[in-house]
Amino acid sequence: MDRTYKLLVIDDSQEILVALDKYLKKKKFDVVTATDGLEGIKLLKAEKDGFDLVITDLVMPYVSGVGVISILKKEFPGTPVVAITGWGEHPEALAIEANADLVLEKPFDLEELEQSITTLLVKRKTSKS
Amino acid sequence: MGTEIIGVSPNIERIKELINQVADTGLNTLVCGETGVGKELVVQKLYEHSDRMGKPFIKVNCAALPDGLLESELFGYEQGAFTGAQRRRRGKFELAHGGVLFLDEIGDMSLPLQSKVLHVLQGGHFSPLGSEKDVRSDTWVIAATNHELESDMKNGQFRGDLFYRLSTIKISINPLRERSEDLPLLIDHYLKEYGVQFKDKKIQKPGSGVMKKLLAYSWPGNVRELQNVLKRIMILGDSEESLSDLLQTPDRHGFPGNGNPGNLEPLVHSELLNLDSENDAGLNSLSLKKVRKRVLDRVEKEVIAFVLNKTGWNRSKATKILKISYKTLLYKIKDLEIKPPNGAKLDQEL
Repeated sequence: MDRTYKLLVIDDSQEILVALDKYLKKKKFDVVTATDGLEGIKLLKAEKDGFDLVITDLVMPYVSGVGVISILKKEFPGTPVVAITGWGEHPEALAIEANADLVLEKPFDLEELEQSITTLLVKRKTSKS
Repeated sequence: MGTEIIGVSPNIERIKELINQVADTGLNTLVCGETGVGKELVVQKLYEHSDRMGKPFIKVNCAALPDGLLESELFGYEQGAFTGAQRRRRGKFELAHGGVLFLDEIGDMSLPLQSKVLHVLQGGHFSPLGSEKDVRSDTWVIAATNHELESDMKNGQFRGDLFYRLSTIKISINPLRERSEDLPLLIDHYLKEYGVQFKDKKIQKPGSGVMKKLLAYSWPGNVRELQNVLKRIMILGDSEESLSDLLQTPDRHGFPGNGNPGNLEPLVHSELLNLDSENDAGLNSLSLKKVRKRVLDRVEKEVIAFVLNKTGWNRSKATKILKISYKTLLYKIKDLEIKPPNGAKLDQEL
């Protein structure tokens, strides 16, 4: 990685949020966290330079992960998004429909997540240049 | 612009913030909350804050119409589609094109109709009854319900795929008893509003004793009940004593458990739904006699359990309070499966 990438992680489970924050920071990512979709949207809109990638849970109060993805893809097209879910197929199908770049089912392997993030960031960099 | 959303509780603050953030996204929205909490006001605010303001706002009450009628109401029909369809009629999905379709009481919609609504949400188009042509509909669907849809979903009474599609944005309004900090503001707001509304009448503002009672009450009927009580106080000038009769608090009656005895609607509603789930044919299985028995059993069970708990499961005392024979009480305990609290000794009679 040529620079520090800024990631937004949204999940209403504090445990998952802390685990992802710790792991991704260890992997030299700049991590911002939000505990629900509404908080996530506010952070997205407030971040001047934008986030390089967003990781979001799907089933959350107020604004669901599908809501976050839809708003993100409309207002910040090109920003890759990884959806994580522990629920059945319905929200997953909706996440794909809303153009999530990747859907990971909990429990997932953290190394697998890191590899996916790297792949998506490289893909984005290539499409930009 | 109509009434504003009144409140300072975290729940209400969050809802106001949410409306500002998402109203212009047009994402499917589900508004949940008990009867009378103000779901319709939230829906109205979403519409007013959106870029669809001024475009059609069509409301359909899904609980008010039988299935067949609701279907033709939503999707419309062609001339000759069925006996009596003398001319083409446009459905609400078509009429709401470009604007908002508010599906109130969506939790009462039958499963077959739920799948038809899902189909429109998935594809953005539908066919009116008796038509082979597809009609496109760019409609922002906002649904509301007083049901716990997550549990309806687990019971097979509500489609999971429709639930997830509708709840892209999910707004849950807490009952008034869980946001008591909003109560003084709401009382103040409605007193002012009714003061203007009834300015020709001799208005009596509630005294400090009445106000104390209002603030201590749990409001099972939520904001709607508060509005009715305040109107009555202002017009009729209820005394503190008569107010006690008006405010049927769970605490005053001491009902145990989920404490909503003043509001029979959810009870009646759940009994009807139980009947529906027993038979796919839906309304065909509905029998007033069966409903009466179920509702009566539930109410009797709650009342008998309450009296038994109050008397420490002394059945002689309970029969006197309930004014039934000992034999009847024993039969009811067995029939209604009323269980004593852990550790209670049933054989001990005082």
